[in-house]
Order: sequence, then structure tokens, then C-alpha cells
Amino acid sequence: MIAFEDATVVAPDSGITILEPTTLTLTERRISIIGANGSGKSTLVRLINGLIQPTSGTVTVEGLDTVKKGREVRRNVGFLFTDPSAQLIMPTAAEDVMLSLRRTVPRRDERVRAALEALEDLGLGDKADVAVSSLSGGQRQLLALAGVLAVAPSIIVADEPTTLLDLRWRAHVGALLRSLPVQLIEVTHDLDSALRAERTIVIDQGKVAFDGAPGDAVALYRDLMFGRAAEGSA
Amino acid sequence: MTPVIGMYRPLRTPMHRAPAWFKVTLLAAVAILVLFVQDPVTSLGLAAASLLLLISTAPPWRPALAAVAWTLLFAVMAAGYQFWRGEWALGVDVAADLATVVFLALAVSASTSMERMLDLASAALRPLRRFVPHETIGLMFALLIRLIPEMVRLLGESRQAAMARGVERSPRAILVPTATRTVGFALDLGAALHARGISDAAAAEADSPLDADAPRADEVPASRRARREAARARRGRTR
Repeated sequence: MIAFEDATVVAPDSGITILEPTTLTLTERRISIIGANGSGKSTLVRLINGLIQPTSGTVTVEGLDTVKKGREVRRNVGFLFTDPSAQLIMPTAAEDVMLSLRRTVPRRDERVRAALEALEDLGLGDKADVAVSSLSGGQRQLLALAGVLAVAPSIIVADEPTTLLDLRWRAHVGALLRSLPVQLIEVTHDLDSALRAERTIVIDQGKVAFDGAPGDAVALYRDLMFGRAAEGSA
Repeated sequence: MTPVIGMYRPLRTPMHRAPAWFKVTLLAAVAILVLFVQDPVTSLGLAAASLLLLISTAPPWRPALAAVAWTLLFAVMAAGYQFWRGEWALGVDVAADLATVVFLALAVSASTSMERMLDLASAALRPLRRFVPHETIGLMFALLIRLIPEMVRLLGESRQAAMARGVERSPRAILVPTATRTVGFALDLGAALHARGISDAAAAEADSPLDADAPRADEVPASRRARREAARARRGRTR
């Protein structure tokens, strides 16, 4: 269970409030988060594994405070970024997954086996020794996911994981994410994907504008966006 | 562009099969040896041997050829200076020494995976673990090597953007976006390391370098294997 208790984020330099006091309890297995660019979606989800710390209030994951027990929380919460390039460090696919396993699997032979299994699970078995630089965008995102799944987290936070992908890879990566036996918190601009969640949260100007059924959330989000567009053009 | 550091391919050549410590020791030994060998014929022989060793690793031909060509260019420039001073033998020796060391370094990098290099760096620094977080140092090397091709890419993109705006002669139009995007990439990389828990591992090691190698209570092999198998079973059920 992920719990936000009056969590607030204020930019340290400008003093601008990025996230207003937010209280949420996330228990559903598929949760989507939608909102305009710069609305605070990424800030909200980055609080979950301590990438950002709340200025006030608390965020806990399975009862562990993300500030005080950040290391323990991150072992349980995998994070997938929009652009996998920054997430991939080693020259080949297998080596990159092995990097995730270095701390938890000290023996090299075990590490190799676990990395190959993780790649095989995502259909990248034949890419183990291929240079990361020669993989397509979709394959890189899958590789980033393999690196996350290799350490068996129980929660995955995905921050617009399909935004940079073409239609084919978007469908593939989206379906794969939804099939995982973990709790998935997905920030997305893909409203079809948002509709497949059990619960959808709309973030607008640093606040939770709606929290509930995906259909209602998407309808409200459309109203917000098109209403603002109409105001802008008037 | 395929960077030289991406030349490694998993093959079964003798160089690939040789342990990483042997290859790095050989490289260090040869680098020292060429300083003492001043006979031009012997130096040329060593350079030829290094080149053959590089060819024996069957590197991808395009980046390998580019690296060899650049090395020869610098070698000729270094030799040219000595020739100009009338030091013919020294010119040949300097050029051959440079070529020997670079060809051998290329052979080592073309036949050794980054993982093996990280293991070697960690093992080599282990005796100093009381003072140095050896895993972190290894990771720093990996990050440094990761950053080089990224900077080359960003520089290329900035140059193209400057050309598109018709300001390709302005160094500022190329260097400023390259620098800012490099910083941006480094920040993204840092966030990704943090998210993957890799920086936590490094921080734990820095806090307590002596204990860093010991698996934590929740990381003993049995529980780890059980967790992984459970995860695999769950994944299987959902398909």
C-alpha cells in the first residue's frame, strides 16, 4: 500500500508549490495518472520511491517512510522512465541487467543466469550480447524494464513509459506492463491506456482534480484541456 | 557512429578467453617495456605484433579501422616532429611505441566486457576497501565510459541544430546546448541510478566499505532465489 499524507512539494529555489498538500491511499493494482504537462504528475510519482522528497507531509510504501527508509523502499519499488537511454548504463543488454543484480547476486555465474532469464522473460533473449546503442527505442524500454524486474520489485512506477515509442511498441510495452504481477502506477498521456486502469487520478496545477473511475477521470481531463484551449483561443 | 568503446563482441578468440587481469597486466607490462626499448626495428616489431593481436580479436571493422587510422595519424605527427629535428631513429621509435600501446589497448577493450572490467576493478581495489569504496570506483569508470558516446551524440545534434539555424560558425551555438544537454543527461542518469538503487548501494558502501560485500539479511541467496522464483511463477500465471 502506498500512502500520501499531506505530502507537499515546494521548489527550493523559487518557492513555487509544485504539489499542493496531497492525501492519497493507493491500493489498486492498476492506477493511471493523467494531467497536462507540468501539472505535477511526475513529481507525485517520484515521491513514491524517494526520487523527490516531500517538503512537508509523508509518503509511505508498505509502511516504510520514503525519506527515512529510502533504500528499503527503492528495493521494492521499480521505476521506469520516459526515455530509457538515461536508464541504461552498460554497453550490452545482458551487462546492463547484471548491473542491477550486482549488489544482490554476488556470484557472477548466478548473475549471468538471472540476467539472461530476465531478458528471456521479456523476449530479449537473443539480444543479450547486442550493444544497447543498436537496440530500437522499444527494445531499449523493454531492456530498462528487464533491469527493473530482475530485482523482483512488488511495485512499478512508470513515468510515461510509452510516450517516445511508435504505435506497435506502445501497444506491446503497454500490454506487457499491464500483465505484470505487480502493482503498477502509470503516468500517461495515452488515454486508452488510462482507461484500462482500475483507478485514475487527474492532476491539475499541482492538485488532485479527480480520483476515481477511469471513464469519469478521462472525461473530466478532456473538459479541462479543451475548456482551457477554448479560453486560450477566445 | 559506433564508438571505439563499444567494440566488444562476445566471441571465442584466444584474447576473449584470456582472463581480464592477464590482459590488463599485459597491457601495463608492454606500456612499460616500450619505454625501455629504443631500437626502432624492435619497436616496429612490437607495434606489428599488437596490430596482429587486435586483428585476432575480430573487432567490428569500421570503428576498428577508424581507431587505427587516427592512431597512425597521431603517430606520424609525433614522428614528423622528431624527423624535423633530425632524430630519425627516435621518430620511428616514438611512433611505434604509441601505436603499440593503442593497438594493444584496443585489443583488450575489444575482447573484454564491461562487466569483466568492473569485476577486475572491484577485485583490484579490494585490498584498499578500508579506504576506497571499490564497487563505486568501478561504477564511476562505467559511467565515464557511458558518458563519452553520449557527449559525442549531443555534440553532433547541437552542430546539426546550429546548421539548421544557419549559425554553424558560432561556437557558442554549438557548445552551449551541448553543455546544457550534457548536464541534463547527467541529472537524468543520476535519477536513474537512484531509482535503480545503484546509488544506494554505492552510498552504503561509502558509509561502511568493509561491510559492503556482505549480503544483507534480506539478500541471502535462499530468500533471493525464492523471491525470484515466486515472481517468475506469478509472471507465468498472468500470461
